[in-house]
Amino acid sequence: MFKSGTIFSNFTPLVKSPVIGYRISGDDVLEILKKLTNKNFSKNHSRVQIIKLFKRDGSILDECSVVYFKSPKSFTGEDVCEVFLHGSPLIASQFEQTLKEFKIPGLRLAKNGEFSYRSVLNNKNSLKQAKAINQIISNDSFSSLEYNKKLLFEGDQVSGLTSLREEAVDLFSEITASIDFVDDEEFNFKKIIKKAKIFFYKCHNILQKTKNMNKEKNICKIMLIGPVNVGKSTLFNKMIDKERAIVTNIKGTTRDILSNEFIFDGRMFEVFDTAGHRDKQGKIERVGYKKAQQLSLEIDHFFILSDKYSTKKQIYSLKKDFGIKNNYTLVETKSDQYQYQSKNVKINHNLEKDSVLSRLKISLIHKKYVSYKVKKADFNDEEIDFLENILQYKHDILNESDILIIAQIMRNILDDFSYEFGYINNEDVYDRVFSNFCIGK
Amino acid sequence: MEHYDVIVIGAGHAGVEAANISEKYGLKTALITKNLSDLGKLSCNPSIGGVGKTHIASEVDILGGVICKIGDKSAIHYRVLNLSKGPAVWGVRAQIDRDLYSKHILKYIKSSKIDIIEDEAINILEKNNKILGVECVSAGKIKSKAVILTTGTFLNGKIYFGREVKEAGRIGNSSSKELAKFINKNFKTMRLKTGTPPRIYTQSIDYDVLEPQPSENNGIYLSYFTKQNTNKNINCYITKTNNKTHKIIRDNLDKSAMYSGIIKSEGVRYCPSIEDKITKFGDRSGHNIFLEPEGLNSDLVYPNGISNSLDIDIQLKFLRSIKGLEKCEVDQYGYAVEYDSVDPRELKLNFETKKIENFFLAGQINGTTGYEEAAGQGIYAAINAAIKLKKIKFNSEVFARNNSYIGVLVDDLTKLGVTEPYRMFTSRAENRLKLRTDNSYERFGININKKIFNKTEFTQIKKNINDESKIIKKLLSLKFSPNDLMKKNIKVKKDGKVRNGFEVLKFLEPTIENFKTFFNISINQKLLTKIYFDSKYEVFYDREKKSYEQLNKNKNMNLKNIDFNKIPSLSKEILEKLNKFKPENLYDAGKISGITPSALFQIVKHKKIKGDRVA
Repeated sequence: MFKSGTIFSNFTPLVKSPVIGYRISGDDVLEILKKLTNKNFSKNHSRVQIIKLFKRDGSILDECSVVYFKSPKSFTGEDVCEVFLHGSPLIASQFEQTLKEFKIPGLRLAKNGEFSYRSVLNNKNSLKQAKAINQIISNDSFSSLEYNKKLLFEGDQVSGLTSLREEAVDLFSEITASIDFVDDEEFNFKKIIKKAKIFFYKCHNILQKTKNMNKEKNICKIMLIGPVNVGKSTLFNKMIDKERAIVTNIKGTTRDILSNEFIFDGRMFEVFDTAGHRDKQGKIERVGYKKAQQLSLEIDHFFILSDKYSTKKQIYSLKKDFGIKNNYTLVETKSDQYQYQSKNVKINHNLEKDSVLSRLKISLIHKKYVSYKVKKADFNDEEIDFLENILQYKHDILNESDILIIAQIMRNILDDFSYEFGYINNEDVYDRVFSNFCIGK
Repeated sequence: MEHYDVIVIGAGHAGVEAANISEKYGLKTALITKNLSDLGKLSCNPSIGGVGKTHIASEVDILGGVICKIGDKSAIHYRVLNLSKGPAVWGVRAQIDRDLYSKHILKYIKSSKIDIIEDEAINILEKNNKILGVECVSAGKIKSKAVILTTGTFLNGKIYFGREVKEAGRIGNSSSKELAKFINKNFKTMRLKTGTPPRIYTQSIDYDVLEPQPSENNGIYLSYFTKQNTNKNINCYITKTNNKTHKIIRDNLDKSAMYSGIIKSEGVRYCPSIEDKITKFGDRSGHNIFLEPEGLNSDLVYPNGISNSLDIDIQLKFLRSIKGLEKCEVDQYGYAVEYDSVDPRELKLNFETKKIENFFLAGQINGTTGYEEAAGQGIYAAINAAIKLKKIKFNSEVFARNNSYIGVLVDDLTKLGVTEPYRMFTSRAENRLKLRTDNSYERFGININKKIFNKTEFTQIKKNINDESKIIKKLLSLKFSPNDLMKKNIKVKKDGKVRNGFEVLKFLEPTIENFKTFFNISINQKLLTKIYFDSKYEVFYDREKKSYEQLNKNKNMNLKNIDFNKIPSLSKEILEKLNKFKPENLYDAGKISGITPSALFQIVKHKKIKGDRVA
């Protein structure tokens, strides 16, 4: 008998960290656990335990938490186990090596998205839900995050497309009935054609609304400027908290300017580190400085950093170069080394991230420039693409009076929906035709 | 012992078409029927055609079949459904005089070289899964290179009059048990159900109070070759059930075979019994009944719309509650039939059984319903038998799903199987705009050959094709700039594009006069309508095709050489199905019931990485 093959993959990055996690899914999970633990691991075994794992030569691989999910009550619907190794990439490689040495037929590294697709195959998730998982992980905004979570946890009916799909199938069913069963019921063609038009207007309006909503930003862009060596990069690193690496979405490479997103107090920021300003700039520095100037149009708020040696003239020319009006905060750095008399914000590198950010009043700044309210979204990016695709037929339908052509276009649209939700075939349409209309003699 | 190329068992619509075309292609053919009087019998409603059905019938017609020609000869009433829509969905329907139809068919078959054997086939002879012949009750063993079985609903037939059960195929026929055993032993079968209404004496109907539906004998016929219908045309009539009728039926649902739980198989969705209609659409105040005469000299009427399986006293009671039927008398009460059909997935694409070589199945035995669907299969199976045995020149590509309704039917049956009797709807065809009755000679053109038509018919087709190509040639040579068109009051985009006559045609009102004034070309209306819609739809096909291709980039992905077992992420159920149906491309795979899009995704993914990293 064919076995679908057991797959495994790490679900944390393979870097030095407290824990590295592996997930294994498939028919051979229990056998793998037996071999790893030298214990008779049965289906009734306790689900979470700390247990010793052994290499093939009998030496200890690691002692760690192992969670076993009995089929079908698991993410994929198959037998699944999750192993939480000590976070050494070397242990991880020993773990993979040990699995290989078991020589279990079909056991292999999972491909991208394979766990999710198994969950779809085993009806643990719908196609849409599996896609939502992907969207959640790659989310950039809170509003679409909330939407994708809803889609995942509550199901397809949450999607704004679900009602459109229903409408499309109903419409196509009515068109189908009016052509193939013209004798059996009374059909009003003008009405049907009008319904088709309304369907498109609806798609169109939804798309416009959603697009406008997406234009509304929820990220506050701030830029650090100041004379050279004043501590901009120190502040930058502190803000993005590299060591904890919550957000590591470095975009700067394209702009020759370092930029990074970070989240504070539930709000999203993008911070830009710039080349410092000095009177005698090198060529590369000059290019960097110019680019920063060009970018300044997008910036909501500037932090102008200075230290004991910075002059008023320098600050003045910075403000001029970047076109800054009132949207700036003066920050004096290295406050552990120097005494400042001014009322400006003072920071130093000994301060914790949180206290630096609160001194900078960064939440207030966010509030000032960005409407914090999380918008209620009805679609994710993939679905918006989908709507755009549907609307390419709009022109055809609005100018058409031949019901056969309209039917042909609607068929295309249903095909599109098939790829979004799962196949809609003729039979599904007929089911609807025969339940909505009294067909047949 | 006689030695045939082809023996056709059963002489219904599938059998007649099969025997006829087989003989025309020069094969030595025998047709076995239990009773000569059953030849080409219209066993259910007395009409041929309708939306979808005409479409198949017209393909049979252009392939050399008889159903349309003899249908027109026996027609006593015509209607064209969907006339207000494009010709792609026009459905000519003709009421047929049963006796005339039988008479003409018998005369036709008798005049051919087909050997008619009036006998009962009791066994199929085969050795090592290859056909040898047929065994009959009186004639004994008859050898044949191929056998086409078209025995309709004879397998384990059961008839239900209300709660009373009888064993039989159709009324008046005994089930052929021996043959049934052979089929049941060798092939997977499934249980299907159908129903029929009571037959009413025409003299007992009060037509004066009913709405007549006159014949529209307007020159649109079933057959491409028919010039006129000279039979007397008579009216159909329409009446309606009412609340009183509904109450009688509702109060007696326990006396219906279907609703009392005696029949367990699923009902046909598009052919609901009156019990079904009233249960599902209880809010309606009435359901239409079409009173169709069974013939010019027949004293019976077929009340289309009230098939049922109620006890007979209830049937009479509800009938007499209907306007015009208050004093009606019944000849034959309505009943439900349950029967076995062979799972059509037992068939190869050419309708030969997968198990026994040169053994073909066609018609209702494959799980379909309808005369036209049966005729289409009969001619299809026989053509394939002829291709196999005699290697006749025939391009089978005409039976592709995108070129013919027969192709759609064959594709659906052999790939998807059936769960209820299969009937053709135009919406089953993705390429509906092209699969029209007015261009069948074009779609099947490469196979039109002198053998299968008489001289007049053949000349007619040739002339038609020549006339059309001449006109198209002229149209293509005419050029119009947007300015020319503006002057003639035709609104087009001012895109500077010079259009030829064919491209301009779609902007005109398609009348002969318009055409003459605009292009200075004479044309007849039939041809004008055809090329007008070609002009109108052609641009659309192109775009349709493009966007379709774009959307389904991978749909044509060839899966012939793929080993599905090597795709580790497919579920067992899906794998089983893929291995069973062996889809040739991704599109076909997607149509297999139960194949999920994610499975398709997996296949695409697997195919793209060509199996690397797959254990």
